[in-house]
Amino acid sequence: MNAGDHLSDTDVLTAVRDSLSRTSLTGPPDVAAILARGRARRRRRVIPTATGTLAVAAGATLAVTALTPGSHDPAHRAAHAATRQPTVQLAAWTVTRLANGNITVSVRDLGDPAGLQQTLRSDGVPASVTFASEVNPACSPYPGGTPRHGIPRLLKHVFPEPYRHLAMQHQPRTARPVHGRPPVQRPSPTSSIVVIDPAALPGNAGVQLGVSPGGGALLLPQVVYASRRCTGS
Amino acid sequence: MSNEQAEFATFFRASWDPCLRAVLAVVGSPQLAEDQVAEAFARAWASWRKVRRHPAPRAWVVRTALNTGVSWWRRRGHELPLAGHDQTAHDDPWTGLDGSLLMALRRLPRRQREVIALRIFLDLDTDMIAGQLGIEPGTVRMHLSRGVAALRRELTPTNNHGG
Repeated sequence: MNAGDHLSDTDVLTAVRDSLSRTSLTGPPDVAAILARGRARRRRRVIPTATGTLAVAAGATLAVTALTPGSHDPAHRAAHAATRQPTVQLAAWTVTRLANGNITVSVRDLGDPAGLQQTLRSDGVPASVTFASEVNPACSPYPGGTPRHGIPRLLKHVFPEPYRHLAMQHQPRTARPVHGRPPVQRPSPTSSIVVIDPAALPGNAGVQLGVSPGGGALLLPQVVYASRRCTGS
Repeated sequence: MSNEQAEFATFFRASWDPCLRAVLAVVGSPQLAEDQVAEAFARAWASWRKVRRHPAPRAWVVRTALNTGVSWWRRRGHELPLAGHDQTAHDDPWTGLDGSLLMALRRLPRRQREVIALRIFLDLDTDMIAGQLGIEPGTVRMHLSRGVAALRRELTPTNNHGG
């Protein structure tokens, strides 16, 4: 007879609780960071497709010169960026290279992550883009490339949007000129935007983007180790 | 800091540890659990006027943490290797735990782990657990019974002198 059979349900649960309670865990993060994160969530509630996602860039204030997925032409894109004529198009998703070299990914309804992935790679960004439920198992997180209690510096540099703004206080809804830049038009309120600074990527790193199950938002962009199987290069 | 913020801060500091342990018992990765609990508390603050009136705010946080997909990348990277049971003791982030008990807990179906976590860390009764998980009280009792039975088998004393 198993001696454990003598244990009551309460005994078993108490043993489990006591055992787990002995585990040394980190203390709570700074409550100010949690409050800021919560405020960011409140702001994003105005964006229907942002529900339940962390990385929707509701605070994005960069120009969006939209290209349709099928017309990804760098020269055309560069011309648009150079003229700095912000436009908003209701394409399913768009990829835009800004004059400063950053790449803006805007998603309204992404049904083909592979297409976006190919576009980013052709733009020189090692990238893995999948639906959240189909994450590429070949990808592994790059040190500092994943948010934990706070947002690592690498993430803020590689993804100026949304991470730079996650810990910020409430921002006015109206975009303001930044460093002398002209005012820019906000994207469609149903868009999800991630801005990538390829120059901030370490040499052996790439980006990983997840697409919400409904295809309406980009989830938690991260930095991963670049590899042929993960990011294509 | 406003009164509302101070109220939330008090709740946050007092609830972080039990919520984290409850989520940890389910997801099996300290890093993943921390991410999800932090996100859940952020959501709690975003909906504080609702959450503060919730009959079990900590349960709201745990349920939200378990439902959130914030760290689905990490889940693939950390939870699955932990499930392999092939780490040495000093590699195990759950250092200090009873190894066999930990393995038994990991082997339980997720729903059984959820029920047990809510019971032992948040001290919720059957009806409250059922409400949080969206299942019938009878189903809660079934999961709890089966989970406890599986764990009981792992709690055999090593020095069994018999008689």
